[in-house]
Amino acid sequence: MLLAAEIPGFAVPLGIAFVAVIAAIIIFRSMWRVPEPNQALIISGLNRGKDANNTAAPNESHGFRISVGRGKFVIPGVQRVRTLNLDLHEANLVVECVTNQAVPVIIKGVVIYKVGDDETSISNAARRFIDQEDQMDAKVHNVFAGHMRSIIGNLTVEQLIREREMLTEQVRSASEAEVQKLGLVIDSMQILEIDDPSDYITNLGAPQQAAIASAARVAKADADRTAAEAEQIARAQIAAATRDTNIKTAGFQAEVDKANEEAKQAGPLAEATARQAVIDQQAKAAEREAERATQELLATVIRPAEAEASATRTRADAARDKAIAEAEAEAAQTTKVGQAKASVTEVTGAAEAAATKATGLATAEVVKATGLAEAEVTGKKGEAEGTALKARAEGLAANQEAVINQQMAERLPEIVAAAAHAFDNVDSMVVLNGATGVVDAVAQIATQGMAMYGGLKDAFAHAETPVTPVASVGASSTDEAPDSEAALDA
Amino acid sequence: MLNPGTRARVTGDIRAGVTGEVAISGQRYLAHPFDRADAFLKGDSVVVVEYEPPRTVYVAEGL
Repeated sequence: MLLAAEIPGFAVPLGIAFVAVIAAIIIFRSMWRVPEPNQALIISGLNRGKDANNTAAPNESHGFRISVGRGKFVIPGVQRVRTLNLDLHEANLVVECVTNQAVPVIIKGVVIYKVGDDETSISNAARRFIDQEDQMDAKVHNVFAGHMRSIIGNLTVEQLIREREMLTEQVRSASEAEVQKLGLVIDSMQILEIDDPSDYITNLGAPQQAAIASAARVAKADADRTAAEAEQIARAQIAAATRDTNIKTAGFQAEVDKANEEAKQAGPLAEATARQAVIDQQAKAAEREAERATQELLATVIRPAEAEASATRTRADAARDKAIAEAEAEAAQTTKVGQAKASVTEVTGAAEAAATKATGLATAEVVKATGLAEAEVTGKKGEAEGTALKARAEGLAANQEAVINQQMAERLPEIVAAAAHAFDNVDSMVVLNGATGVVDAVAQIATQGMAMYGGLKDAFAHAETPVTPVASVGASSTDEAPDSEAALDA
Repeated sequence: MLNPGTRARVTGDIRAGVTGEVAISGQRYLAHPFDRADAFLKGDSVVVVEYEPPRTVYVAEGL
């Protein structure tokens, strides 16, 4: 009561107006329909032909208005509004079919489609699918299963697998009329799976698979071989490096050992070198000492001995020359005496022979008749004996030299001893030239002996020649003379 | 609504006897050569000569 009394009088109409406005807004809001971005409004009923947006196809008797993206005022009771989804639909296809090569395959594919965005497509789709959108996929599947058979019948398995563009082209060509009638747009049609009962695809890939497998094995073998070669080369290089290292190590160790040994031997070596130097110096000193002794010997012994030898030689030469001169003089004298005696004997003989000849001739004339034969025999005999004697005398004359030589040879030692007598007074003799000196001394002695021998020989020859031939002549004369004398006597 | 002269890009080969495809402002349209002797490859630029609703166009070589 108190509250009603306090409300002013103008408030009631204001409240009613407010409520009326609110009610009008609510009513308007309930009648104004706005589509979602992926929806199309299909409005049927009153005032359907006055849609300004439908001017593009005024003659297409849709029988309803279509609104995409814009709100529409719908009068409840006289108009009805439906929505048609324009979003994407997907229909799975499983189709048993035969390819262009009569190869049976089972294709599992998918068709992705939507309602076309143009009003014609929306109109076609609305008439066909509104209130049946949940059955849209099944109907599309049925339509496209038939199309799939015709499409795949125009393709080969290879094209199915590889040529997607060819498949798309075939889908467009085969489904062109249907999809336009249904108001759909095929965004994509894909083959998901191909079941191949005849193993065509497996066999299709077999050669390539075999080739690939072969190539893979070859490549693996090559790789293994290359790797093995590389490993072997690496091991060889490692071995070579190890060998080189060992060689160098051994060489260095040898050098170290050599250096150590040399270091160890350095002391003894130095000692030996020093000792060798000492020995060299000692040897030089000994040489000096020997030279000094030689000089001393030369001065004290050899020079006097040479002087003595020279004196002795000179004296011997003098004695020899004297003997030679005496012998030559005696020989010359004996020759002259002999020649004189021979001349006397020759003259005497010639005279006696002439006398005897004259006597013999006279006697021969006398006794010629009686003793011619005897005389002749005797003459022959005498002749023979004369010849023998003559030969003997000649032989003696010829062999006189040989006899003398024989006698001289028998006495040669004594001669040489006499010549060597010059050395009797020498206590010790130093021969300067070694063996040559000895030979020289002996040769000189022999020369002196031979010289004396020559002189003696001449002396003997000159002394005996006059005697022996005379004796011989005398003998022959004696032999011959009795005959002659006998003859003379006779 | 497509007007003749609209430029289009070929997204599926167009030649006689085969349905091709062109893209116009992001929308895909089925396409045929206006001159049956023409052939267009994917990526070519063409011009719409005639539009046949809902989604078929006939194209010619781009100017």
